[in-house]
Amino acid sequence: MTPGILGLLLRAIVVVSGAAIATFVLLWNAPGDPAFAIAVARYNTIVPTDVLDQVRAEAGLDAGFWPAFRAWIGPLLVGDFGRSSVTGRAVWPDLVRALGYTAPLALAALMIGLSIAFPLACLAAKKPGGVLDRCAVAIASVGAAIPPYWLGLLLILLFAVQLAWVPAMGARTAAHIILPALTLGLGVAAALTRIIRSGILEARGQGFLPAFTRRGVSRRSIARDHVAPHAAIPVVTVLGLELAFLLEGLLMVEVIFGRPGLGGFLVHAIETRDFPRVQAVVLLTALIFVFVNLAIDIFCRVLDPRIGEPGA
Amino acid sequence: MRSVLALALIFILLAVLGPVLAPYDPAAINIPNRLGPPSADWLLGTDALGRDILSRLLHGARWSLGLAFLISVIGLCIGTVVGLVAAQGGKLADWSVMRTTDTFLAFPELVAAVVIAGLLGAGTGTLILALSVTGWMRYARVVRGIGLALKSRGYVVQAKLAGMSPLVIAHRHYIPAMMPSLIVVWTGMFAHTILGISALGFLGFGVQPPTAEWGTMLLDARIHIRSTPLQMIWPGLAVAISVLAINLCGDALRDSLAARNS
Amino acid sequence: MLTIDAVSAHRGKLMALSDISLTLDRGKTLAVTGESGAGKSTLIACILGLLKPSGGTITWSGAPVRTCRPALVMQEPRMAFNPALPLLQSVLEPLKARRAMVLPDRLTRLCKGLELSPELLDRKPAEVSIGQAQRAGILRALVAAPPLILFDEPLSALDSVTQKHTARLIAELQAEEGFSSLIVTHDLGYACACSDRIAVLRSGRIEEAGTPGSFVAAPQTEYGKKLRDAAFALGALEAAE
Repeated sequence: MTPGILGLLLRAIVVVSGAAIATFVLLWNAPGDPAFAIAVARYNTIVPTDVLDQVRAEAGLDAGFWPAFRAWIGPLLVGDFGRSSVTGRAVWPDLVRALGYTAPLALAALMIGLSIAFPLACLAAKKPGGVLDRCAVAIASVGAAIPPYWLGLLLILLFAVQLAWVPAMGARTAAHIILPALTLGLGVAAALTRIIRSGILEARGQGFLPAFTRRGVSRRSIARDHVAPHAAIPVVTVLGLELAFLLEGLLMVEVIFGRPGLGGFLVHAIETRDFPRVQAVVLLTALIFVFVNLAIDIFCRVLDPRIGEPGA
Repeated sequence: MRSVLALALIFILLAVLGPVLAPYDPAAINIPNRLGPPSADWLLGTDALGRDILSRLLHGARWSLGLAFLISVIGLCIGTVVGLVAAQGGKLADWSVMRTTDTFLAFPELVAAVVIAGLLGAGTGTLILALSVTGWMRYARVVRGIGLALKSRGYVVQAKLAGMSPLVIAHRHYIPAMMPSLIVVWTGMFAHTILGISALGFLGFGVQPPTAEWGTMLLDARIHIRSTPLQMIWPGLAVAISVLAINLCGDALRDSLAARNS
Repeated sequence: MLTIDAVSAHRGKLMALSDISLTLDRGKTLAVTGESGAGKSTLIACILGLLKPSGGTITWSGAPVRTCRPALVMQEPRMAFNPALPLLQSVLEPLKARRAMVLPDRLTRLCKGLELSPELLDRKPAEVSIGQAQRAGILRALVAAPPLILFDEPLSALDSVTQKHTARLIAELQAEEGFSSLIVTHDLGYACACSDRIAVLRSGRIEEAGTPGSFVAAPQTEYGKKLRDAAFALGALEAAE
C-alpha cells in the first residue's frame, strides 16, 4: 500500500511530533540535576542553593512534567522555540545564526560530493568490471570506511599544519569553509559514487534501450532522455539517505573545525542542559530530514508515475 | 574475497587476543617518555602520558570491535522482534510499529545517539543504550518486508492452521528464511556501529578515559596534532581498516547470496 | 457438523460471497463447484477463518471452526511445504502443534495407504514430484485425525493418471478415517463422483444445491444445465453416472 501525497504529509507530521515528544520525555527523565549544569554554565562557578532554586524556577524545572510540557508545546505550536535556560536569549535567532554557518557548509559539501561522484561514476559505468571501474569502486569503498572526523584531522594536518595553505579552526573568513567542506564532501562522494554507478548500470540494463539503438537513436540522446531519468530515481532517493550522513557528518566536522554551527550549538546545549536549545535543534533536524525526504518522495513520483499507483 | 576475509579475521583475532599480545600495560603512565616517536621499544610511539600506543590500540580493539559486535547483535534482536510483530501481528500492530520505526528513522542516528548519550551521562552503559536504541530500524524493515511476503506462503498458512503459536512459527519458518538477508544487514550495521562508537568517543560522550578506545584515543591525540601528528594516525587507521574489511565481507556475502538466488 | 449460515464476504470492495448457506454432516462429503472467480477459494478462506466474513456465521457443531483444527489440502502441493525442511518435518507439524505423540503404527498405515515411503519423506519439497508432494499434503492433513478436511482443488496440479489415483486414495481414506470433507473443485465430473452433496457457485451466490445424482439427471437452473452439458461434451461426467 502506497499512500498518496496527502498521506505522506500526514505521516511526516506524525513522525516529527513523535520525535519532538520523545526528546521531551528523554530530557525530562535524564539523570542529574539540570539546574546545576545550567547554573554552572551561566555563572561559571558553583553556586549556593538559593541561586540554584532560582535557576530551577526560571527554567520551569520545578513545575513538574505536565505543566512543563504544556509550557513548551503551547508556544511551539505558534512557532516560538522559547528562551535559552543559560543565556535567557530567545532560541530562534541564535538557531538561525548557527544555521547560517551550517547551511553553506552542507551545500558546499554536497556540491563537492556531487562534482566528484558524478564524473567518477560515469567513468566507472562506461565499462563495468574494467580497470577504471574497479579503481572507482575501490576508492569509494575506502572512502566510505574512513571516519569523517579522522579525515578532517588528516586534512588539517596536511593543508593547515604542514602546508599552511588554508586556515583550519573557526569561521572568520570565507576560506575557513574549505577544509570542513572538503572533509564532508569526500565522504559524500564516496557514498554517492557507488550508488550513481549502480543506478546508471541498472538503467542501462533496462530492456527498452537496445530497441532505441536499433532504431538509430544516438547514444547521447539515449543517455539524456532515457538513462538519466532512470538513474535519477535511485540517486535522488539515496540523496535523501545521504542527508542523514550529511547531518551526522556536519555535527562531527563542525566540532572538529570549531565552527559555530548547529553541531557545536547542540553539543554545547546538551552539556549545559539547555533544554529549550536541545529541543529546538532536535525539532529542526527532524523537520529538515522528514521534509527533504517528503520532497524526494514527491519528486520520484513525478519522475516515475508508476510509484504510488495501486499494484505498483 | 579471501584476503578480505583474512583481514577481517586478523582484526577479530587481535580484538580477542589484544590484551595478551600487548607489550605494555595500556594504562601505565610514563611521563618522562611522553609523546615519544616510534622506536624499537615502542613500535607506534607513546601518547601524552607516555602510554604505549600499540598496547592501547590492541586493548582498544576489544572495546571498539567488541562493543560494536555486542551493540549490533542487540540491534539485530530488537529489530527482528519488532519486524516479526509488525509482520505477524495484523494491521494495527503493523501500522503502529512502522510509524514508530519511521519516527526513529526520522533522525540521523548519530545525532540521536549524541543526544541520548549526552543527556544520560557519558559512559559505556549509556553508549550501548544510545547506539542500540538508534540501531534496530534497518533490521526491523528487512524482517517486516520478508515477513509480509512469507505470511501468505502456503507453508506458513498451514502452520497457522495446524494451531502453532506465532513464536513457534517465527522460529521454524520466518527466522531461517530471513537469516541470509539479516546477516548482510548485520555486517553493514557492525561496521556502522564501529564508526558510531568512535564518533561518540571522539565527542567525549562514549567510553570514558583512561579506558583505551579508538575514538577516545583520537580525541586525546587531536591536541598534539602539531607536535606528534603520527599519534592520531594510528587509531583512525585502525577504525578505517576494520570498517573496510567488514564492509567488503558484507559485499562479498551479498553478492554470493544474490548469485545463489538467481 | 459444519454449518455455514447466510455468509457473505468481501475481497476489497468486491462482493465475493453473498448469502451462502450450506451444511455438511459428519463423515460426509460436500463438493463446491463453479467457474474460476465464483468464490470457491473465498469460501474456504472464510471457513478456515483466514478471511473474516462481512456477514453470517460459520460453525462446527456450534463452536468456531478453528476449534476443531480443520486441515487444508492446498491446490499447489509444493507451496504447502517449507522448501528448506524435509517433508516429514512439515507433515508432523499438526501433531507438534497439538503437543501430541507420533503414533508409529498409524503413520506407517497412512504412508502405506498414500504410497509414500519413509525415504521419500526425508526429501525436500523440490526433490519430489508434484503427485508425491500432493500425497504428502494429504498425509499432513490426516496425521492428527481432524474431524474436517478441506480440499482446495486437490487435483488441479496433477496429470490425469495421477488425478484418478489421488481421487481414489482420498475416497478410500475417508471411508477408513470417517472425516467430513469439503472439496472445492472446478471439475464437475470429480465433484459429482466424490460427493454426497454438491453446491454450484456462481458470482458468489449458490446457483443450486442437491445430490450429485439429481443434479446430473435434472439441473434446476439454466446455468446448472449449461455446466452439465459442457461437462458431458468433454466426457467428464461418464464416471458419475
